[in-house]
Amino acid sequence: MGAFDSLFQWAFLVPLFPLLGLVIVGFFGDRMKKAEFGGWVAVAFSGMAMVLGVLIAVGEALTPGRYTDVSYAWLTLPGTQSVFSNGFSLVMGTLVDPISALMLIVVNVVGFLVMLYSIEYMHHDKGLPRYYAELSLFLVAMNGLILSDNLLEFFLFWELVGVCSYFLIGFYYEKPSAASAAKEAFLVTRVGDVLFLLGIFIYFATYATSGGGAGWAASGFKFTTGSTPFLGSLVGSASSPTLTIAGLMMLAGAAGKSAQFPLDVWLPDAMEGPTTVSALIHAATMVAAGVYLLAVVSLFLGFTADDRLAIVAVGGFTTIWAASMAVVNTDIKRVVAYSTISQLGYMVLAVGAGFAMVGLYHLFTHAFFKALLFLAAGAVIHAVGTQDLLKMGGLGKSMRITSIAFLIGALSLSGFPGFAGFWSKDDVLASVYSQVGAHPLYWPFLLCALATVFLTAYYIFRAWFLAFSGDHPRDPTLPHGHDAPWAMRLPLLVLSVLAAVAGLFAFLPSFSSLLPGANVPPVYGSTDLVLTAVSAGLGLGGIGVAYVMWGNGRVFQLPSGSPLQGARTVLLRRYYMKDAYDWIGLHGVYRLARAADFVDQFVIDGSIRGIERAFSSLSNGMRRLQTGVVSDYAAYVVTGLVGVLLFFLFVAPWIFRTMGGG
Amino acid sequence: MTDFVVAQFVGLSAALLGIGLFGILTRRNFILLLIAIEIAINAAVLNFVYFAGFATGPGGVSGQAAAVVIVGLAATEVAVGLAIVLALNRQRGSINVAEATTLRQ
Repeated sequence: MGAFDSLFQWAFLVPLFPLLGLVIVGFFGDRMKKAEFGGWVAVAFSGMAMVLGVLIAVGEALTPGRYTDVSYAWLTLPGTQSVFSNGFSLVMGTLVDPISALMLIVVNVVGFLVMLYSIEYMHHDKGLPRYYAELSLFLVAMNGLILSDNLLEFFLFWELVGVCSYFLIGFYYEKPSAASAAKEAFLVTRVGDVLFLLGIFIYFATYATSGGGAGWAASGFKFTTGSTPFLGSLVGSASSPTLTIAGLMMLAGAAGKSAQFPLDVWLPDAMEGPTTVSALIHAATMVAAGVYLLAVVSLFLGFTADDRLAIVAVGGFTTIWAASMAVVNTDIKRVVAYSTISQLGYMVLAVGAGFAMVGLYHLFTHAFFKALLFLAAGAVIHAVGTQDLLKMGGLGKSMRITSIAFLIGALSLSGFPGFAGFWSKDDVLASVYSQVGAHPLYWPFLLCALATVFLTAYYIFRAWFLAFSGDHPRDPTLPHGHDAPWAMRLPLLVLSVLAAVAGLFAFLPSFSSLLPGANVPPVYGSTDLVLTAVSAGLGLGGIGVAYVMWGNGRVFQLPSGSPLQGARTVLLRRYYMKDAYDWIGLHGVYRLARAADFVDQFVIDGSIRGIERAFSSLSNGMRRLQTGVVSDYAAYVVTGLVGVLLFFLFVAPWIFRTMGGG
Repeated sequence: MTDFVVAQFVGLSAALLGIGLFGILTRRNFILLLIAIEIAINAAVLNFVYFAGFATGPGGVSGQAAAVVIVGLAATEVAVGLAIVLALNRQRGSINVAEATTLRQ
């Protein structure tokens, strides 16, 4: 109860502002005198969304544990004989709770900064109104997703962000690789989405009449009533195979969206889109939606113990799986993209271990330092026109600010003590470690995550050294880089500050009320301190190894006879996962489609055409009877008459006899 | 005795019908065709008249009445038929029905 009540009521404006921007830029952007004007309109609206979003988050932080649900029943159906015996309603609404407030900060701050950065970064591109309209639509969808108060609305916006991702990866749709990357992203995430929907159905069928009042379905599948989960984490206490399957479906949906193993192949290819899109959608926000889903399900529905193990396994394995591929890659954007997959693995790992808030804490810090890394990489690409790290080098001299920004991002990512990534990553490791006693099966995945700390520090500093250290670019034809103009520099500066200090927010008592129930900031016992020392040491070791191999313009060459060459090839070919999917697509799905096509063309169409042909030849034959000669017609009449007579004289009595009639 | 008479009469009208039908199916000359139709119709008329003899009471003459109506109808039909013959002859110079096939179109 307090000053913020009316503010929380207006939360629906947060997605509405970018929607206005979308309408203005989308419908009138082409008619504006200069394409940038549309960009400024979109920036202005996303700025308004950011101000309101941050205000709401501050309000939420100052009134701990406040849940404000404003909803509007869209459609109410009476009960039926099916599972929805108490009726069924569709509800649209906004739920302001601690975790959505946290996400509001992430999405709107990064969204606004990326929009601002895009003004300069994209100014030479054609199709700017389309770009800003799609980016605004994405902000609408993402804000709608995090403010959803029920599972159906959540799914609606979930699909909408997927569509935006498709649009923006394929922004350069004339480029075949971009168009096919967009399709790939859409199809791979779709696998997860379909399973997610099946999981939703299972929850609906299981819990339609559970919860308070007339039941979950009748109240519109809401997450909460007041500040308690509507279903009171029923799943966590129950453990039926059906619910385990439903939880696995949720995991599949999250794996698709958050690019977790084995649905991770689309994210590196999604780098075909503009770098700004990668920063906003494929690093900070949309890919985090999968983690957010897991957190929401874990808080409001609950996971069974088997689900938790599966989530820990997927997250833990993904950290090292993706990090290992980043180690050999020479494309600056792809290195950062693999690191995104790997870091999302940490978040999934934490949620699976039962610490949804710790996962969200890492999501929060990761959003800033990863967006920073992408935007800094974007500034480099903007300046030198290539993404190949081996061609760069020595850029630190000409692009000092960009170089420092990337360095701060890299330090934060590798968990250098004091930086944002250090606190949250440490918290993830500590929270998983606190569970390995009770669940020894978590051990291998904790070790994966620990090893990844080393790999992370190594690959990101390898990228930094390759791009910025040394005296001059390795490719002399490269244009002389220069630091970006202020519209690009300002977001870099703001994100640099956030990437350095965002982890410390957790030490503010009011801020940590956005992460209720987590041990945020980390509570250090003596074993946890050892763990911290180990992970910090691994990070520093990674930085050191990277310096030895790549520092000062050195380029480490693997000896040609080395057995590691084979491993390098495997990593560069991405463990042949993509080839495997291509093979399945070509030899499995495509062949199945061909068979289905054959059945369609020759069996279904064939039978219809056969009937048509039979009738047409029959009528052709009948037409020949129409001679026009009167006598012929008379003959037909007589024949018919005789036929009728014969029928009634002989056939009909015979039928009556055989039927046994009188 | 009655059976024999019935058989004779029905046989007679059947024979007439057969002759008429034979003519209808085989003749190509329109006038002969009309004559064959008349014969077939008269087979039916003969049946009406004959079986009316078995009827008693107020309805007893209905068979004869039907016969008279049919005879009138046949006359009308012949009048129309002959008019068609004239028109056909005037148009094509022939009254062969096998040549008048434009009805097909």
